[in-house]
Amino acid sequence: MDKNFQEEQFTGIIKFTPPLYKQRYQFVKDLVGKYKPKKVADLGCADCTLLWMLKFCSCIEVLAGLDICTSIMKEKMHRLSPLPVDYLQPAERSLTVTLHHGSVAHKDPCMLGFDLVTCIELIEHLEESELKKFPEVVFGFMAPSIVVISTPNSEFNPLFLGVTLFRHPDHKFEWNRVQFQSWALETARRYDYSVEFTGVGHPPTGMENVGFCTQIGVFVRKHPQTSESAQSEKPTEGVYKTVFKAVYPSLKDEKYLQNAVVSEVIFTAQIIKRSLLDCVMSEHEEYNDDPTERKCKFQPSVNCFSDSLGKLVVEKSMEPFVNGHVVYIPLTTIFSFPKVNQLCGTFEKLCKLIAGKVTLSSDGSAVMFNTEHENEEN
Amino acid sequence: QQTLPSQQPGRRQPQQPRVPPSISEEPGGHGRQRGSQSVLQGRNGRRPEGLQISAGFQELSLADRGGRRRDFHDLGINTRQAIEHVQESKTGSSGIMVKLTTNYFRLTSRPQWALYQYHVGYSPEMEARRLRSALLFQHEELIGKTHAFDGSILFLPKKLGKKVTEVFSRTRNGENVKITITLTNELPPTSPTCLQFYNIIFRRLLKMLNLQQIGRNYYNPSDPISIPNHRLMVWPGFTSSILQYEESIMLCTDVSHKVLRSETVLDFMYSLYYQVEEQRFRDACAKELIGLIVLTKYNNRTYRVDDIDWDANPQCTFRKADGSEISYVDYYKRQYNQEITDLNQPVLISQSRRRRGTIMPGPVVLIPELCFLTGLTEKMRNDFNMMKDLAVHTRLPPEQRQREIGKLIDYIQKDDNVQKELRDWGLSFDSNLLSFTGRVVQGEKILQSGNVFNYNPQFADWSKETRGAPLICAKPLDNWLLIYTRRNYDTANTLLQNLFKVTPSMGIRMNKATMIEVDDRTEAYLRVLQQSVTPDTNIVFCVLSSSRKDKYDAIKKYLCTDCPIPSQCVIARTLSKPQTAMAIATKIALQMNCKMGGELWSVEIPLKQVMVVGIDCYHDTLSGKQSIAGFVASLNQTMTRWFSRCVVQGRGQELVDGLKACLQTALRDWFKWNNYLPSRIIVYRDGVGDGQLNTLVNYEVPQFLDCLKSVGKDYNPRLTVIVVKKRVNTRFFAQCGGALKNPPPGTVVDVEVTRPEWYDFFIVSQAVRNGCVAPTHYNVIYDTGKLKPDHVQRLTYKLCHMYYNWSGVIRVPAPCQYAHKLAFLVGQSIHREPNLLLSDRLYYL
Repeated sequence: MDKNFQEEQFTGIIKFTPPLYKQRYQFVKDLVGKYKPKKVADLGCADCTLLWMLKFCSCIEVLAGLDICTSIMKEKMHRLSPLPVDYLQPAERSLTVTLHHGSVAHKDPCMLGFDLVTCIELIEHLEESELKKFPEVVFGFMAPSIVVISTPNSEFNPLFLGVTLFRHPDHKFEWNRVQFQSWALETARRYDYSVEFTGVGHPPTGMENVGFCTQIGVFVRKHPQTSESAQSEKPTEGVYKTVFKAVYPSLKDEKYLQNAVVSEVIFTAQIIKRSLLDCVMSEHEEYNDDPTERKCKFQPSVNCFSDSLGKLVVEKSMEPFVNGHVVYIPLTTIFSFPKVNQLCGTFEKLCKLIAGKVTLSSDGSAVMFNTEHENEEN
Repeated sequence: QQTLPSQQPGRRQPQQPRVPPSISEEPGGHGRQRGSQSVLQGRNGRRPEGLQISAGFQELSLADRGGRRRDFHDLGINTRQAIEHVQESKTGSSGIMVKLTTNYFRLTSRPQWALYQYHVGYSPEMEARRLRSALLFQHEELIGKTHAFDGSILFLPKKLGKKVTEVFSRTRNGENVKITITLTNELPPTSPTCLQFYNIIFRRLLKMLNLQQIGRNYYNPSDPISIPNHRLMVWPGFTSSILQYEESIMLCTDVSHKVLRSETVLDFMYSLYYQVEEQRFRDACAKELIGLIVLTKYNNRTYRVDDIDWDANPQCTFRKADGSEISYVDYYKRQYNQEITDLNQPVLISQSRRRRGTIMPGPVVLIPELCFLTGLTEKMRNDFNMMKDLAVHTRLPPEQRQREIGKLIDYIQKDDNVQKELRDWGLSFDSNLLSFTGRVVQGEKILQSGNVFNYNPQFADWSKETRGAPLICAKPLDNWLLIYTRRNYDTANTLLQNLFKVTPSMGIRMNKATMIEVDDRTEAYLRVLQQSVTPDTNIVFCVLSSSRKDKYDAIKKYLCTDCPIPSQCVIARTLSKPQTAMAIATKIALQMNCKMGGELWSVEIPLKQVMVVGIDCYHDTLSGKQSIAGFVASLNQTMTRWFSRCVVQGRGQELVDGLKACLQTALRDWFKWNNYLPSRIIVYRDGVGDGQLNTLVNYEVPQFLDCLKSVGKDYNPRLTVIVVKKRVNTRFFAQCGGALKNPPPGTVVDVEVTRPEWYDFFIVSQAVRNGCVAPTHYNVIYDTGKLKPDHVQRLTYKLCHMYYNWSGVIRVPAPCQYAHKLAFLVGQSIHREPNLLLSDRLYYL
């Protein structure tokens, strides 16, 4: 990270590369990569940039944001909506993103059960009364396994020209390292957490003594979560207002799984049908005899679909065949395709998922296509 | 004939004559609103993606995604004011009244505030638009929550205290920035810019309804229609635009369907790889992919594929904004957690169409594995089965369409957040679709060699009525070739017998064809043509064994350029069904007759000495981006004979130069036929894209006038230029009892949904079997003809009866369809101008 710092000593303008806010977000992302939390909440999520970055982390299944200001949340919240592609190719994992309007000084049961709670550049915006309630709400009530808190290090401020009091007009205070660390240690002790300190934004060479521009405390809960402790004091009423909620399509949802399986089955069957018919056609051209009554052996040419068809393991008796205008493709053949196999897991599941959605032969063992009316008006 | 309005925005877009450099932008142009005539269109002339809304002055337009875009509503081009005889009224009078409903909602209330336009300056200068916005909106208490800002121009519904306001913001780096907000313009509620503002607001509402924006329109992803046979997914959605129409400001909304494909570009390349030979693979990829719109996995952007870079791969690096080098693999992994598994895939190149400030950003590199295909390829469009499967979902009958459209207003009224937003702005919409009265003009009688045929106007088809009747002018088949492969010998023979059966009643004299058998190879066909075609050959008939395009192309190319003889190609399978054989033989006989210069039928055309011209364009997006304009002009009073020529636009050439030459030759030929020059010329100009009207008015029409002037000093014909547009979002439903039906052919609408600044009208001329009929929009942009609007409408409708390849009424005037046919043949198969010896025949049918 040292390299990321550029300094123009004489102008007194300090620039971080990448910008400091990105470094803070990257810090959280790295932490997520390390601990793989499933449920993450960002308190003081502002324009949801961190949440947006986190939605790409495949371990996360629940993302929540909380802010006291709805308008800033609303400004870009649609970035958190699923993309068209998420519908086209639903992911394996499930993901729900929710935004709440409310204060970190209030408890709401929707914040329970999280693995990681982040408070990036949040506490310095809190009024004294709110700051007082903050530890009880976050550490006492929410009690996630990990809490990340970042805040400006006021010792760094003299390096910014023009910063007279605080870095931002809305800051209620800016702490030096001792102030932050003693607050953090006291909080950790009271709620049985351990805390480690670090930061982002290295000071310029020769000024190392001022410390990081942003100081960060990473709190890890020492005691294992007991379900009672969380539930005993759980208030019955929610006080936050839900501003936004997005449920991502996921294969864990039967509806999307069924869609995906049906699509894949029909598509696979189409491929087999086409090569079957091509094979019938070419024979027709060669011998000029009547194709309708002959069975054509299904022989995928190697150069045709090396990946999927090459791996076919089909019993001899269960080969796809054409009878009159009807093409039969056994489900076992389709099930042997890796994509179908992967989606369904078991053959029984496959049968269950496509029941009623795909036309099957009378004994239910094969997909059936009627080719009579195809190509008619071509 | 319903189209999917949202797909493939770039496809049917006519080539843009180069526009001279426009007036440079002066953001601080003080307090005056420029005249509406001065709207200039986007400088690069390409159709932008995403939405865009233009303002009614300069070429400024604003959009909620920022940046300035081309105006696709052709706002502020007032052509009616120059046409004297329609100042009072532009409506027709004939026909019977019909009660219509249309997909428009009136705005029942709208903001009464004026819009204030500010210029926002930064000191020190800030480049990034995002940063500029962020800095400005640190002062929300000053600016308010309702605003639109494109990086330098700010629109507010309220006036700031001072004319020039200075505020200070601080960047994240602690840098202080002075922001100067200067009032530059005050726009009254009636100004077009205010209308754009409503459009922006409306789009925000659609977003609030959780609809997804793709391209210009919004779609509902939660209930997709999946068509697994073809790996397609269809999303229902809406088009919307708020504009000033004849009587009031209205929201026009239509159902739109977005066709998405559940496969990535890489998947597509893989499957293509197994379908074509290795050496043709790259060409095949280019052919199928270039011009397509792709959707990326990681953001909600669409890009047009402009090129494929086979020398690059995902391991190549690029320089990030902060100057560091990173490979695509690492970048996508780090930024979006997207794994790229195939490290040898090429990359796609998309030229950015958006301008950021004054900088034109460089091309965007896309990874095939991370891009999904959208829309349909040409190949898919030609796949009858696929289109049939699609049509089931996308062609909604009138009742259902009206219900779907009503859903949007329903959504809006049921959503509290949306309602609140609307209240805040002071906007509200009528909950019912607009109803009004249109006219159905009288049906046309079909005149054919002394016979008069009436037909059921509801079906707009007279194939049954006229079957077997003598033609106006039958060309003999004295000397003709019938070429077939060995396998199709029987088919060819049967066809010959059938032709002998159907031709006598039409009055076509026919000798037995010279039957020639060929090998099924392109060279074999060509050799036969070279050996057997003589100057006396009337026509060459080829029975092709497959729909392979190369043989067809080679035959057409040879017989349209090197050896100009009419030709007819038919795929054997078409002839092979016994139950339709006679009907097909009849159709073929008619088509061959037209190709040899025969005439089939006519309708009564009272106007004398008039030459009707049709123009349409074809754009070859693949090879060299060539454009072809078809030009077809009538040669006789009955409009049964046509002069046809086309312009193949070379690089850097203006299409209009070629059109001038066409007009000159057409006039010369007209003179040869009639011994005088036409006193009126009526041009139907098809193939004009959204937002290109300005170019037409200011460049093409003057060129036509120039051309006429050059014919002779005393020659001063009356000129009418009518822009024909098939792709419109307007739909009409006829109220029949309690039900809604398609309006009958001949329905004319010139009130309510037309634009006050234009001399325009809609005609529903064709009948459709399923789905909703799409009206055609006609915009008379230049007219010294002084014909009554009613006569122009009637003539237009009459011309829709004159397309000889279809015994019925079509969507556009016949010359437009002929021009389309010609341009398509040349663009698809011939690639250069056909021999002019063929120009007096409909050889391209």
